[in-house]
Amino acid sequence: MEAKPAQPYWNPYVAGVGLGLVLLASFVVMGRGLGASGAVASTITAGLNTVAPGHVAANPAYAEYLKDGASPLKDWLVFEVLGVFVGGYLSGMLAHRVTRVVERGPHITAGKRLMFAFIGGALMGVGAKLARGCTSGQALTGGALLNAGSWAFMIMVFAGAYALAYFMRRQWL
Amino acid sequence: MMAPFFKYALFGENISLVVAFLVGIGFGFFLERAGFGSSRKLAAQFYFTDLTVFKVMFTAIVTAMLGVYWLSVFGFMDLSLVYLTPTFLAPQMVGGLILGAGFVVGGYCPGTACVGIATGRIDALVLFVGIFAGVFGFSELYPRVSGFYMSTSMGQLTLPQVTHLPYGLLVFAVVLMALGGFIGAEWVEKRMAARKVEA
Amino acid sequence: MAEFMKKLTLNGRLAVVALLLGFAALFAGSPYHGAGASVNTKELALVMATGADQVGVTTLADWIIQGKSNFRVVDLRKEAAYQEYHIPPAENIPVAGLAQSSLLHNEKVILYADDGARAAQAWMLLRAKGYQGVYILRGGLEAWKDSVLFPRIPGNPTPAQLVEFARTREVSKFFGGTPQALAGDSASTSQVVMPRLAMPAPQAAGGAGAPKKKKKEGC
Repeated sequence: MEAKPAQPYWNPYVAGVGLGLVLLASFVVMGRGLGASGAVASTITAGLNTVAPGHVAANPAYAEYLKDGASPLKDWLVFEVLGVFVGGYLSGMLAHRVTRVVERGPHITAGKRLMFAFIGGALMGVGAKLARGCTSGQALTGGALLNAGSWAFMIMVFAGAYALAYFMRRQWL
Repeated sequence: MMAPFFKYALFGENISLVVAFLVGIGFGFFLERAGFGSSRKLAAQFYFTDLTVFKVMFTAIVTAMLGVYWLSVFGFMDLSLVYLTPTFLAPQMVGGLILGAGFVVGGYCPGTACVGIATGRIDALVLFVGIFAGVFGFSELYPRVSGFYMSTSMGQLTLPQVTHLPYGLLVFAVVLMALGGFIGAEWVEKRMAARKVEA
Repeated sequence: MAEFMKKLTLNGRLAVVALLLGFAALFAGSPYHGAGASVNTKELALVMATGADQVGVTTLADWIIQGKSNFRVVDLRKEAAYQEYHIPPAENIPVAGLAQSSLLHNEKVILYADDGARAAQAWMLLRAKGYQGVYILRGGLEAWKDSVLFPRIPGNPTPAQLVEFARTREVSKFFGGTPQALAGDSASTSQVVMPRLAMPAPQAAGGAGAPKKKKKEGC
């Protein structure tokens, strides 16, 4: 079966306006912004809680995701992230951009790429915990609200990425 | 006026979870529209060949910022009820540095990784597993790093408060900076494309 | 202007709109409306006239006994007075802290202080800020003491009154109070001892919607 060709991406500014309006809607309806890394923490907390509740309760890094009486998964961010999967899939489907692949530059193997993906993810996990957020929660949300810490965070994200870009060029270029 | 609606108790927690899901759908949809399901496209930002990340991020920020500002000025929403993540300057800056490093090493950020997974990218999936590992590792080591984690607490702090400049002035400044950045980005992309042709 | 906009690309138009909105922000002032508030005098007068601004002490006592959790009680007095005794499910929030508190705009909140004055002032402030569910506890803590904790029960009740007084006695006991025999003078009041708070501490405001734990709303 012939796969339909992927459609071109939207004008980035239009996509940005769309994203901004979604964020604005969240502010107006919920009085809060977006996020992603918090959902990961909630999930880990929920999982650990079933096998080691004492450990979870004793460690503030997990305990803050506990909800009185309900599962840590009954969390705004968890539901939001589930929506992100759905929305991403929807858009990808409509544009014929859903394809099983290991994205990488032309000069690296899939195996090495996946290794870097894991390491990158681990770094992000640590960074997001330290910063109390990631690019969606801090940069977008905090950026729009002129949150001082978020702007500082945002600048450092770009700084960190550019600083390491040279060393990662074989992965991408 | 009664916005943010949730803060005025116009609906309860269960509906808020439905709202979360819908907001997430919108979020994921536009991220993918912009092409952020692709780590190659995302990483290209850091090699100056494709500055979509910058364009989308700052357009979104400017859009939401202007929306929040004007709705508040006209009294349609109460800005003081919108949650502002408290600032912990040092851990946020270090966290940003590490996250940025992770971004160019991994090729996704947590939100875009979800979009990548949803569109079949295996590297996005592996990265997402990595995020779990990172969060888990950090949490397990938390007692050791909690001192730093909680340091330089500045409470809920906005740029107008820090700079002692009027909110509206900073709104304008951000708009100018973003527009300037976009013009710069277009120019850089053209130069890089031309260089590629020459090479 | 329309001509100019037509000549622009989509990106150009977006840029112009952003620029205009940004530029106008220089003159539009602060987005925070902080301490200001507006009062709809007609609406408030109507609420006051229908008595929808107040709740009686016996009504509140009944709600607490029935275990209703769809409301919050706020004690506006100083912390020391609150620690000494407060109506069991009450939270201590001074008037100055009301705006920053976790009170939601639509939840039922019953305000009380020693008598009615402070509560009435707080009621007015909150209503002006758009809190729709606020009520004054009629008579304040004094009325609570008189009617709930230490109700005066005459020694020779008629059969009809017996039932009512039995109930009053039960309510009083529930809150750890002591029904007073009606001696016709005020000698009995000087001997009242405020009950130690045996009531369970307020459960996380029941289903009022706002958990006591400061909710994390970040990423």
